Amino acid sequence: MRDYEPILLRNVGVPEARTLKGYEARGGYRGIRKALGSSPEQIVEEVKKANLRGRGGAGFPAGLKWSFLPKDRTITYLCVNADESEPPTFSNRLLMENDPHQVLEGAMIAAYATRAQVAYIYMRVEFHEQFHVLQRAVDEAYAAGYLGRRLFGHDFDLQVYIHRGAGAYVCGEETGLIESIEGKRGWPRIKPPFPALEGLFRRPTVVNNVETLANLPHLIERGAAWFTSIGPPHSTGPKLFCISGPVRRPGCYEGPMTITVRDLIERPEFGGGMLPGKRVKMVLPGGVSVGVLTANELDMKMDFADPAKYGLLGLGTAAAVVVDTDTDIRLVLRNLARFYALESCGQCTQCREGTSWMYKIAARIAAGAGRRADLDILEQTARNMGMMPGLSICGLPDGATYPIETLVRKFRSELEELIGQQEPARRDAVLQTVN
Amino acid sequence: MPRIIIDGRPIDCREDISVLQAALDAGGDVPHYCYHPGLSIVASCRLCLMEMKVPNPRTQEPDWSPKLLPACQTPVRDGMEVRFHSERVRENQRSCMEFFLLNHPLDCPVCDQSGECWLQDYSFKFGRAESRMIDEKCKNPKKDVGPHTLLYQDRCVMCTRCVRFTQEISGTSELCVVNRGSRCEIDAFPGKPLANPLQGNVVDLCPVGALLDKQFLFRQRVWLLTSTPSICAGCATGCAIWVDHNQGTLWRLRPRYNPGVNDWWMCDDGRFGWRYVHDGKRIAAPRVRRGSEQTTPDWAAVPQLVRFRIEEHVRRHGGATLAAVLSPFMTCEEAWLLIRVLRDKAPASTLVLGPVPTAGETRHFPVGATGNTVKFTIQAEKCPNRRGIELLLAAAGGNVLTFEQFAEQAGKGEFKGAWIVGGYPQPWVDKATAKLAAQFELLIVQDIFENDLLPGAAIVLPACAWAEREGCFVNARGLIQPFQRALNPPAGAQRDGQYLYEIAGFQGLYSGVRVRAMMAEKIPAFAQLHEPPPMPRHAH
Repeated sequence: MRDYEPILLRNVGVPEARTLKGYEARGGYRGIRKALGSSPEQIVEEVKKANLRGRGGAGFPAGLKWSFLPKDRTITYLCVNADESEPPTFSNRLLMENDPHQVLEGAMIAAYATRAQVAYIYMRVEFHEQFHVLQRAVDEAYAAGYLGRRLFGHDFDLQVYIHRGAGAYVCGEETGLIESIEGKRGWPRIKPPFPALEGLFRRPTVVNNVETLANLPHLIERGAAWFTSIGPPHSTGPKLFCISGPVRRPGCYEGPMTITVRDLIERPEFGGGMLPGKRVKMVLPGGVSVGVLTANELDMKMDFADPAKYGLLGLGTAAAVVVDTDTDIRLVLRNLARFYALESCGQCTQCREGTSWMYKIAARIAAGAGRRADLDILEQTARNMGMMPGLSICGLPDGATYPIETLVRKFRSELEELIGQQEPARRDAVLQTVN
Repeated sequence: MPRIIIDGRPIDCREDISVLQAALDAGGDVPHYCYHPGLSIVASCRLCLMEMKVPNPRTQEPDWSPKLLPACQTPVRDGMEVRFHSERVRENQRSCMEFFLLNHPLDCPVCDQSGECWLQDYSFKFGRAESRMIDEKCKNPKKDVGPHTLLYQDRCVMCTRCVRFTQEISGTSELCVVNRGSRCEIDAFPGKPLANPLQGNVVDLCPVGALLDKQFLFRQRVWLLTSTPSICAGCATGCAIWVDHNQGTLWRLRPRYNPGVNDWWMCDDGRFGWRYVHDGKRIAAPRVRRGSEQTTPDWAAVPQLVRFRIEEHVRRHGGATLAAVLSPFMTCEEAWLLIRVLRDKAPASTLVLGPVPTAGETRHFPVGATGNTVKFTIQAEKCPNRRGIELLLAAAGGNVLTFEQFAEQAGKGEFKGAWIVGGYPQPWVDKATAKLAAQFELLIVQDIFENDLLPGAAIVLPACAWAEREGCFVNARGLIQPFQRALNPPAGAQRDGQYLYEIAGFQGLYSGVRVRAMMAEKIPAFAQLHEPPPMPRHAH
């Protein structure tokens, strides 16, 4: 890892790479040219062989996802998930604002492999700057004949549209995203049918994350064997890791999926260690939805297999937030619960009611009026809302319950201690304002 | 026919239905809110989750699925095995009911839905007795969503049945969901209130007390109501309905499941068109004119009086000068009795179908639907039984005229006596008709409201509203639909069927069934009645 050379982020900090010319000068658009030399089926096979797993959070193998498309399809859509709404995650943003053509090239390869003729890039509305950068890149690509009809002299047409969302976490769920593009309320759809059979406008659809697509040009250009040489067999290829919190170098870094959470915090090429005087209390290693790690669990590998051993939902977006020992854990709990209460779409009962209940309890605990029974209720409610396997239409409640349940379970004694130290007058005053 | 196993019990079910519907059809009590057989599936209430046997990915042996699956979304497949009686399923039902009640106001004592509320029923059966939440409830607002409907959002369980109804059945899409999470609200689009002609159905569809009918609001506790199966008399569609009444007062109409005719729905014209039943101006007693004076005879004397006046008329003017105008608001049985009376005394008498009221054009729903996509029809013909009267007139044979022909011939003085049946909720006697009637020497009028025919009538008989009648109507599609009497006629009046029965020479109590049996001997069609199947007991 010492001589790890960035692949996905190689153009970060190179302003001219944002232009088509600059990108091509640095070796861009070679992947798509090579891809067009083989058949779409061969591309799918190559991606399957490389075991490229989706970078959006669930880690579903991209090639397998593509192979679910029906053979006799006429129209196929590609949706690029650039909604990146998981709280501490900003790797897609970095890719789109620094290397927009890499994302486009990835989308082209995915579109060619899936025989999609239209691609929608679904971008969250908060990405103002990134939208303009990416739109400029799309315009440039159209002007250069890299998008449109008969690309690179092959029988391959592709239209790309950037669709801006209206700011909802649930629109990052693939069927919520599809509904949103269709102009509807972003309520996830019931499955089956899965999008591969019936997705956007009731046509076969593939939804891929920006980072997944950014891997494709390199994967195709250098081959599956090169790709699998990076990282362990179940977690191949380069990966972007974000780190935030009281570390010396918060940011987005690239590496193989062999590193541990401790590496991400401590190593000079990543977080560079904690700020002076700060000590790790807790880490949310994969975006907030996967759950929390204690300071004793930092040896967890940032790959697709290891998090389950620590009771976490998965790798998630591989964006770690470090919480230090000076932070009041009750505020962390409240902040987490608040996010899901605000972002639950309101469709399924468990999620709609459970998230707001958990927030009310967490807010009351943070206000100094917690009861020991509240911790039991939090844990039970989390389980009643469904934690892998879920009970709802989409995975949002799973993501909502993991951080709450793991935090309450792993830090229970500390929470109980804080509840025991509550100021009685204040507690009674708050309790009176409720019921 | 697929055979599936539910809780160890093999069940033969219909093709292409969900496991939930199969369970309900088989008499199972599976809780559900969002599922309705007439609407699309959203599987969002998560109450009907079940366990299903699926092949274990490791051993390929069938085993209970690790994930609970929604029964409403899972289609039946021959040989499948599911179960609801398991601890995991019950645990989910318990926790769901707890979630539903977290922000529910529990204002059952002042809620209209109380007593027919599926939140009450399911809480009782599947829920827990007390709430564990001590924090303040979300208080979503109450709002006025349309001319007939209120929405108490705090009671809503977000099943979105109402939203789907306006999208899929009425096709008008006035309702939508706004906001997220527990602040989710049903709302009407700005400037577009819930005012489509089918909107009353959303109140029936609402499993809780969120959507309320303004006319019914705070009027009755539903457990005091008696529901009598009936047929709507508002138009020729012939929707099956429930007449909900208490101690002789009608309070509301609700649709009754009738596949292929009205399915689960009814229109607002029918739903709210019953007020005339309790109009104080209704004719409530028979009248007989002697010279210039009208007196009220005893009901016991009426049959003989009527028979005598008809016989007298036939003797003096001959039977051919006598006509009967039958109203399309009469039941088939009443019309048959009247035809029998008249043709018995005067075989050459003329039978006429009275005016058929129409309003606008026949409307199909969802708006814009044609052919197979039509889910509901409001007929332009605003009477329940034109087809039935026509059927009887055709069977009776002899002199039969349309109302226009009758008016023309009567204008030429060809008729000297007539029995005119009204019963129209709206005023129906125009000047020309009144003028015609004035020239009859014998005029028997059977009607519900005062009109210009009455002053010239020799005998006036009070007619009933449909809820007081008993018999059958033949709808626009020719289905013969029997219905029961829900109410008694106003004090002093008798049911049309009863006095016609007696005038026809029968003794005892009139009964639609008995008269129909006699009719069926002459007209075989009346042996084939259309009676819809009941809804499964635990469906709503």
